[in-house]
Amino acid sequence: MCAAAWRTRSLHEMSVALEICRLAEERLGPAQAAQLVTVAVEVGDDSGLEAANLEFCLGALLAEPPFTGARPLLVRSPGDVLRVNYLEVDDGCPDD
Amino acid sequence: MAVRTIEVRERVMARNDELAGQVRDRLAQAGIAAFNLVSSPGSGKTALLERTVAAVGEELGISVVTGDVQTQNDADRLARHTSRLVQAVVTGGACHLDALQVQTALEALDLERTRLLFIENVGNLVCPASWDLGEEAKIVILSVTEGEDKPLKYPKMFRQSRYAVVNKIDLLPHVPFDLDLAVSYARQVNPELRFFFTSSVTGEGLDQWFDFLRGRVRQTAPA
Repeated sequence: MCAAAWRTRSLHEMSVALEICRLAEERLGPAQAAQLVTVAVEVGDDSGLEAANLEFCLGALLAEPPFTGARPLLVRSPGDVLRVNYLEVDDGCPDD
Repeated sequence: MAVRTIEVRERVMARNDELAGQVRDRLAQAGIAAFNLVSSPGSGKTALLERTVAAVGEELGISVVTGDVQTQNDADRLARHTSRLVQAVVTGGACHLDALQVQTALEALDLERTRLLFIENVGNLVCPASWDLGEEAKIVILSVTEGEDKPLKYPKMFRQSRYAVVNKIDLLPHVPFDLDLAVSYARQVNPELRFFFTSSVTGEGLDQWFDFLRGRVRQTAPA
């Protein structure tokens, strides 16, 4: 994603997306961050965020290292909640 | 493919809020009252600060952190009125200040000489409402050249603010701004809001504003 395309999206959502990625990397560490496949985020209707813009920004950031194309999964809810609910990683181990 | 789920359930703002807590603790330990000035661009934040710093900057030990997307023009304007420290934060595109930027800016200020800290946020009535900077309270500034329905359009900012300054009141005879309606709208959103009505051009209302600041400094100063 080129910088010019990012500028057409909200800076606020981008700053929140950066924080979500920082949080995910902190939880997973750089090695496991590469195995991230889903980031599930709960976005309140009163959170002051445009969910579509946040999803766009998050998708762009998750395509860049240390991530390898994880998918943002946004769930709307009432109130002003803004929370990372869970992460999904594919650790390459076979299913039980 | 073996996908494993890792429960997180962490607020996105948790890290910022942790840093804001550290800023708040540090300011409290130093006995410094701190206000986060928020408004749309052009409401007169910098002009109000210029008058404030020039009139009571030394008396109240005022220091200022200014936030701008680009340029440090506001900090330069303020520095012309005071020998006290003004620290500029250029956000480089971001639409708000965050707690880390304020924490970093505090390193450049002489907190020993500071009794009252103003954080002049980026002009924006949306995003700064979501970011705690460690301030005692947010002060929202609304000028009479804006619509009186701003509190209804941007309720989160007015809900999160403890004080409201209606600025540029010298222009009231010249603009179709219904002051009573603006106050009514703001109180619909936040009944606890305390108001000030000011003009940085004529000085009207500034004495009440300065008295309020004196009171906050007295109450925050170490015993």
